[in-house]
Amino acid sequence: MTKLSRRMFLKLAGTGAAATALYALKHKYGILHALVHTTQGPVLPEETLVPGVCRMCPGGCGLVARVVDGRVVKLDGNPLHPSNQGKLCPKGQAGLQALYDPDRLHAPMRRTGERGSRQWQTVTWDEALSEVVARLRDMRAAGHPENLIFLHDGQGGPTADLIARFCQVFGTPNNVAAPHYYRADGSPLAHLLTQGWAEHAAYDWENTNYVIFFGGAFLEAWQPLPHSLRAYSRLRRGRPRVRAKIVQVESRASITATKADEWLAVNPGTEGALALSIAHVIVRDELYDAEFVSEHAFGFEDWTDADGQTHTGFGTLVLREYAPDNVAHEIGIPAETIERIAREFAVARPAIAAGDVSGCKDSLYAQWAIHCLNALVGSIDAPGGVLRQRQPPLADWPAVEPDEVASNGLAQTRLDGAGTARFPLAPDVAPALAQGIVAAEQAPGALFLYHANPLYDYPTAGWDEALARIPLIVSFSPYLDETSAHADLLLPDCTFLEKWFYEPLAPSIGVPAVALGRPVIESLYDTRNTGDVLIALAKAVGGSVDDAFPWASFQTAIQNRIEGLFHAGQGLPMRDTFDEFWAEFKARGVWYEPEYEVGQWNQVLITPSGKFEFYSQTLRQALGQDDDEKLLPHYQTPHFVGDESAYPLHLVPFPLVTTGQRWSANLPWLQETYGLHMQATWENWVELNPDTAHELGIQDGDLVWVESPVGRIQLRARLWPGINPHVVGIPEGQGHTAGGRYAEGYGANPNALLVLEFDELSGECTHRATRIRVHKA
Amino acid sequence: MPRWGMVIDLDKCTACQACTLACQAENNVPFSGPEQAAMGRSIHWHEVIADVKDEHGELHARFIPRPCMHCEDPPCVTVCPVGATYVDDEGLVRMDYDVCIGCRYCTTACPYGIRYFNFYAPEFPEPYDQHLTPGVPVRPVGVVEKCSFCIHRLERAKREAAAKGRELTDSELVLLPACNQACPASARYFGDLDDPESTVSRLARNPRAFKLLEDLGTEPKVIYLGEEKN
Amino acid sequence: MDSAALDKHAPIYKPLWHTGRRFWVWVGILVLICAAGVGAYVYQLVTGLGVTGLNRPVLWSFYIINCVFFIAISYGGTMTSAILRITGARWRLPITRAAEVVTACALAIGAINIVLDMGRPDRVLNMVLRGRFESPILWDFYAIMLYMVCSLAYLYIPMIPDIANLRDSFSRRKRLYTFLALGWNGSKKQMHRLEKAIDLLAVFIIPIAVLVHSVLAWLFSMTTQPMWHSELMGPYFVMGAIYSGVAALIVGLAVLRKVMHLEDYFQPTQFNNLGKLLFTLTLVWLYFTGAEYLTTWYGQEPAHMAVFYAKTSGEFAPFFWAQVILCFVIPFPILVSRRLRTIWGTVIASTSVVIGMWLERYLIIVPTLTRPRLPYGIGAYTPTWVEWAIMAASAAAVILLYTLFIKFFPIVSVWELEEIEQ
Repeated sequence: MTKLSRRMFLKLAGTGAAATALYALKHKYGILHALVHTTQGPVLPEETLVPGVCRMCPGGCGLVARVVDGRVVKLDGNPLHPSNQGKLCPKGQAGLQALYDPDRLHAPMRRTGERGSRQWQTVTWDEALSEVVARLRDMRAAGHPENLIFLHDGQGGPTADLIARFCQVFGTPNNVAAPHYYRADGSPLAHLLTQGWAEHAAYDWENTNYVIFFGGAFLEAWQPLPHSLRAYSRLRRGRPRVRAKIVQVESRASITATKADEWLAVNPGTEGALALSIAHVIVRDELYDAEFVSEHAFGFEDWTDADGQTHTGFGTLVLREYAPDNVAHEIGIPAETIERIAREFAVARPAIAAGDVSGCKDSLYAQWAIHCLNALVGSIDAPGGVLRQRQPPLADWPAVEPDEVASNGLAQTRLDGAGTARFPLAPDVAPALAQGIVAAEQAPGALFLYHANPLYDYPTAGWDEALARIPLIVSFSPYLDETSAHADLLLPDCTFLEKWFYEPLAPSIGVPAVALGRPVIESLYDTRNTGDVLIALAKAVGGSVDDAFPWASFQTAIQNRIEGLFHAGQGLPMRDTFDEFWAEFKARGVWYEPEYEVGQWNQVLITPSGKFEFYSQTLRQALGQDDDEKLLPHYQTPHFVGDESAYPLHLVPFPLVTTGQRWSANLPWLQETYGLHMQATWENWVELNPDTAHELGIQDGDLVWVESPVGRIQLRARLWPGINPHVVGIPEGQGHTAGGRYAEGYGANPNALLVLEFDELSGECTHRATRIRVHKA
Repeated sequence: MPRWGMVIDLDKCTACQACTLACQAENNVPFSGPEQAAMGRSIHWHEVIADVKDEHGELHARFIPRPCMHCEDPPCVTVCPVGATYVDDEGLVRMDYDVCIGCRYCTTACPYGIRYFNFYAPEFPEPYDQHLTPGVPVRPVGVVEKCSFCIHRLERAKREAAAKGRELTDSELVLLPACNQACPASARYFGDLDDPESTVSRLARNPRAFKLLEDLGTEPKVIYLGEEKN
Repeated sequence: MDSAALDKHAPIYKPLWHTGRRFWVWVGILVLICAAGVGAYVYQLVTGLGVTGLNRPVLWSFYIINCVFFIAISYGGTMTSAILRITGARWRLPITRAAEVVTACALAIGAINIVLDMGRPDRVLNMVLRGRFESPILWDFYAIMLYMVCSLAYLYIPMIPDIANLRDSFSRRKRLYTFLALGWNGSKKQMHRLEKAIDLLAVFIIPIAVLVHSVLAWLFSMTTQPMWHSELMGPYFVMGAIYSGVAALIVGLAVLRKVMHLEDYFQPTQFNNLGKLLFTLTLVWLYFTGAEYLTTWYGQEPAHMAVFYAKTSGEFAPFFWAQVILCFVIPFPILVSRRLRTIWGTVIASTSVVIGMWLERYLIIVPTLTRPRLPYGIGAYTPTWVEWAIMAASAAAVILLYTLFIKFFPIVSVWELEEIEQ
């Protein structure tokens, strides 16, 4: 079995002079200080370096804060964190403005005017909490704890764990993740179907030779972004005489596409067809990794099941249906290009196919097809291939014992329909929650919002009605956003620089890592760590709920979990006693394992067959049906909403590097660097192909209306050469109506144009399937 | 005497703008707001230039991070009537904010457009004034400002090294300015161009090396390494 | 000379003793406009240059344009008094002083406009204390000061005999005139010294004038900016200055002639000859402009062509072609024809030229700034009320200073006219 060593580990050893200085300083100040001092410039005596975790996006990079006189003056990456290795993306650099945000909430607030009128009065924590506790107790007493809906940001970590724990012991199945859906990588369910784990993957970018990205904006929206950015750098110039080739497949040119060697401007929604056609060429010309396919894959060849029925294999399917000549026209690129790219991809091994093609109906099949390309070229859990992000060996949370009331509640159907026949695979379908709330027999009792903003992130249809049905809405966000503006109580969380938490590494490099977040300075205002608030609520609700939250504080809770890292004894730092370990962990800010072992199939392939499933038995079980066509990746002409003659263009909303799932929009530095390739600041725009614009009589800079069947917004038109002529792009992140003086009233929100439709398999709202029309204002 | 220069590898650069943001934070550069930004008055000591062209329907885009070039023959220094900008003996083009009369001749003379003028007194509305970096002056109204190659960090580093009785090593210099330190792609290098073994000197000899507007004879000390295409 | 002269040249001396309602209304309007300008400047001083339309990349505009414009206006005087004096053109005698006053007033206001443009006028002394002679602005600073001193001298010294006459014959302001007369007694020795001084100044003021506007031109052409970096700039600016100066002078003289009833002094001959001079300059302007644009266009250098097209077919095209019409198409046919070179004709041509030449300065300065070499995008510029107010106040100030001069001193060099008659 091959070992894939982490370069980071080698780098720390360093060369002569640096190592000596490092050694001397390390003993005086600790290794973090020493590293920063010798590689990034000296640390002043009046400065303190405090490690922490950046939460400007879900990536969770390790950071180092420079603190002078109790003020944070600069944020940089933690050089010891194996994922971001001393770097932060521009959102992280702007974290100073998230901490010192003039529109942050200073204390708990209760609504005084109508809902949504944004009239508040400050209350004490005791007052606010007792009101919430009273409502929670009522729900339990009435025997309907399922009436609590906890909507959160879906970002993992200890607070999410405690939210899940609270919901479980309280007795509600309505623990709903409501992430931003402009995620970069739509692949978790594709991994579930093929490899048995519903997670994003890790990738060994630094050793791969060829990458095909299908959408995804690798250099703008992947998380954690500093890792992707370093990966790009290594792909290009990390190895002598080897410069990896990058192909970008998407209808509009992201900055990633401009940096790629080739950009294929495919017709919207046809990415799956392209992946399958590439597979066709690889299979036809026998360029695939035969060893992997025969030993570790299932469903490639035709096969017969226990009942004697034959099933089509993936190989047969792609050979039969997806010859480049058959699909080139629909995709919109020449067949020769498909042939060439496919050959280059297979021959250049190791190679990776990745990206995010979510946003259309049946996009899961497209994502699945893309991942199958990795299997074809032997990139599953191999150097230069797709890895499984290992989880850190944190100590288990103590077991939860829901009482009878809770058990009854948990048995109820989720309001968002996740896991039902409608959405058999999806763990959460937050955009459908509004419908569920409106349709529910019983009105929900309370809605808790933890960094979730469905009124901005999702099509708004139905949310007003839904919220009106809920008697108590509580928000934990430190900022007022579109959804929390409708709350009754605001219980502001601290920012990531003011509270204790930890962050397990998001899927990126494969090895597990945990970064420690802490109060870098004292809380600026009367805010409280939501983790501590949950513990207090649980204690006050009492009974089995209280029992499940035995810790004195959130800090104690996470410290208990961290003990697991110490006991596992296989990462860095390593110490003899837990106290020493904890001290060193705090000083460094991060724990990680330095090596990833490839080829551990029992951890990487946990499907029913124990192999990579081209034909997904997991899906078969979930759908409860046997139609081969549905159980293999395939392509159908995508379904778009809106009559083609009335709405001739396709809308593609997209993230920018200044926005990707960011925590707050009230960041003037990011407003002034908002749209680099258009040199646009403080506003977004609609990108048009120059020929399309010319036909519509629109010039660069004209104000236009963009209309869909459900709404319209006004934006400035900008010409973007080469963008597929049937497509327009609108960057997201503007058009806020809440969030602060630097967020509100700039540009327009493309989500207002989206029709509420779902890809039932993935539970995703189809954000790339809306047709629109554009005309001069 | 060292001759400070910078190398930026465009084949590694991802156009993420972390460099621009780090500079804003490190050097107390104010934001200007939407009206002033619309007039182009935003101050960005460091900026990423988007060179986007439509060539017969094909998109050609290049993103070029642009600090001050710290030219060896700077047109800005020649035209300054009061010597508010000058070249020091280590090749840095410096600004003296107490002397500048705000005539903006340097700004019109610089062909790279790296200089910025304070049309108003810069504001750091509370509580943004909390994160001001000590050691970097906040500039007054009516003066020109620009990238200093993070001279405050350089001087700090030199003092530390001198206190230990040694010179600065190349590895301490490479990531010294805030922009270099922040670059997630490690695409930027700083150092002594007069030391033939320094990272910047070695990279400057790379066949991919080029300078912006080289034919104008300003002799910029920021060297770019061009992108390749597979 | 005696008080008989005062009676003989009554129209010239009338303003010195008679202040009618018209005067007060006229001065009142000018003072109001100046006050508006002062108010605008104070606002700018207190708030910052952000109150103007200046931006990045257009960091120089109205103030610099007006500085060049008003300094150029001052060349009418230098041309008439100095150059024409040296060539011995007799017809210039009635108009020399009127011309020199234009020089003094316009020059002062032109110089002030530079200070208005400074971001830190409180530090203007740095120009003296820390001035660097490598910088064209320093050359400007000293050249303009030298030109101002010489122009004032060149205005004042030939006035001495007339001031002495006022000291002797006029009933008011005795102390002022005595002081300024410097003990003039009309002796041959003094006259000889006076003539020598004037001759010397006339000779020296010409190269100084050429230097001043060349240096103003070099402010731009010493940079490498496209369509600024041209060897032609120096001569172009100097000829352009004489062009707009003479044109402004014609207009000024026509107004004075009407308002003060100076028909006997400012005769069609003066206008005809100035008109002939203006005609020559029309052609010279066309030649320089043509040479500049032809060579730029022929070279087809991308950075230069971006500016070229901005001017000829881009957003500046209306101004560019208006400039061509105003500086050539209108004046040429008027000035080429003897029949049309009347007072009215030359005034129309001159007004056209003055406006056209203001546009020329705008077109030299702003379009280049809107097209930086690096791809920052195209800049734009719209002046705000502050710049308009200050520009209006600048013009009003010139006229106000001129008006005040007429109130205190004879606008025609009476003693020189008397001398010729004798």
